[in-house]
Amino acid sequence: MKSLLVVLVFVAVPAYAQFNFSIDRVLESVKNVAKATKDIDQPEEISIGRDMASRLLGAAQLVNDPRLQRYVNNVGRWLASQTERSDLPWQFGVMDAPQLNAFAVPGGTIFVTRGLVAHMKNEAELAGVLAHEIAHVLQKHHLKAIQKGAKTSLAGDALSLALKDGHSEARDKLISFGTEMYARGLDKSDELEADRLGVVIAARGGYDAYGLPSVLQTLQAMNAQDSTVALMFKTHPPVGERLSVLGDRMQPMLDAYSNQLQLLERFNAEARAAR
Amino acid sequence: MKKLFAILLLLPLLAAAEPATVIRATELKKAPATDVATVAELAENSGVDVLERKGGWTRVKTSAGAEGWVKMLSLRYGSPGAAKQGDTGLSQLFNVAKTGTSGTQVTTGVRGLDAEMITNAQPNPAELKKMDGFAATKETSSSFAQRAKLKATSVEYPAP
Repeated sequence: MKSLLVVLVFVAVPAYAQFNFSIDRVLESVKNVAKATKDIDQPEEISIGRDMASRLLGAAQLVNDPRLQRYVNNVGRWLASQTERSDLPWQFGVMDAPQLNAFAVPGGTIFVTRGLVAHMKNEAELAGVLAHEIAHVLQKHHLKAIQKGAKTSLAGDALSLALKDGHSEARDKLISFGTEMYARGLDKSDELEADRLGVVIAARGGYDAYGLPSVLQTLQAMNAQDSTVALMFKTHPPVGERLSVLGDRMQPMLDAYSNQLQLLERFNAEARAAR
Repeated sequence: MKKLFAILLLLPLLAAAEPATVIRATELKKAPATDVATVAELAENSGVDVLERKGGWTRVKTSAGAEGWVKMLSLRYGSPGAAKQGDTGLSQLFNVAKTGTSGTQVTTGVRGLDAEMITNAQPNPAELKKMDGFAATKETSSSFAQRAKLKATSVEYPAP
């Protein structure tokens, strides 16, 4: 069915140019392009995500500490198991960079920087940040942004090719576009949604729901001029606004799960390499 | 040894009590709960020093020397006047805008993961493979959670 769509796209567009088909036919072909770009299925999502993760690891490698990496994978996998996409191949990595940031890659790969982990105080804060990133994957925020961008930068048939052929030029373009998104940022509404879902996911895992708000307050106390937070601030809504939206929308839920675990000691022991 | 380590970790916190601003009129409570005695009434936009956080509560000290607890989300970090009252981050945005034009290149010279590095990154399949090796399974992460007595609980997502 999908290959039929691809063929239709190939046929319909040049055919229109040559023979001036009826407007109905043109609309049909436009619809097919739209449909082809809408249907990135889960295996394709995972495959694009791996290519994007590989690029990000080209920008910063992992912290060379297996204990830290396994710890973050355990916290993250436990949280992801509490969600509707628990069967994705979730994996988590701490990047060796002094900047404070975190990235969600389609298909279930999550990165957090050493700089951000170093500013956390307990496992509930780590859980809050990972849960925010997990929410981006659940809602396919980056995937949708890539699709939207691909519609303008790649023709519908080129996107199909990019999805099918991992070594095509179109694929390279798609992955470059997807990776650049981490330098540009998502829509503000996506970030605020990830905050709201993130505190819920952390609470589901048994953590103090205030982990993410605590990290946001830590960021608020930092100097916005500091180059270690410049990119993160540029690509996210203002921290003050994120906190007030969480307060307005989530205060009763946050308070109901504020007495769950923080796990300060385990965090200090397992995340020592990040400090 | 562990205790010493814990104290060392706390030292920077003790050394620099974080200044914060009360963003709405709020009660300074004797303990981190709503149904306990009120120590003082804090006016909107008054300055406090942050001492510690616990769940949704923050222990603070006022300029008058009173100590107690306020709801964490009633505080904004930074001294009064550092940002306008009722500010939803506009001034921060402004600061970031300033950083964006000149900051990333000229400030401390920290590189690693700025916009340029990300945009120009080349694939690193070897590192990706290494990452695969650290992945946890549903089962291992579940026993990891159990070891710390983390219990899964059912919480609804908010309405969109």
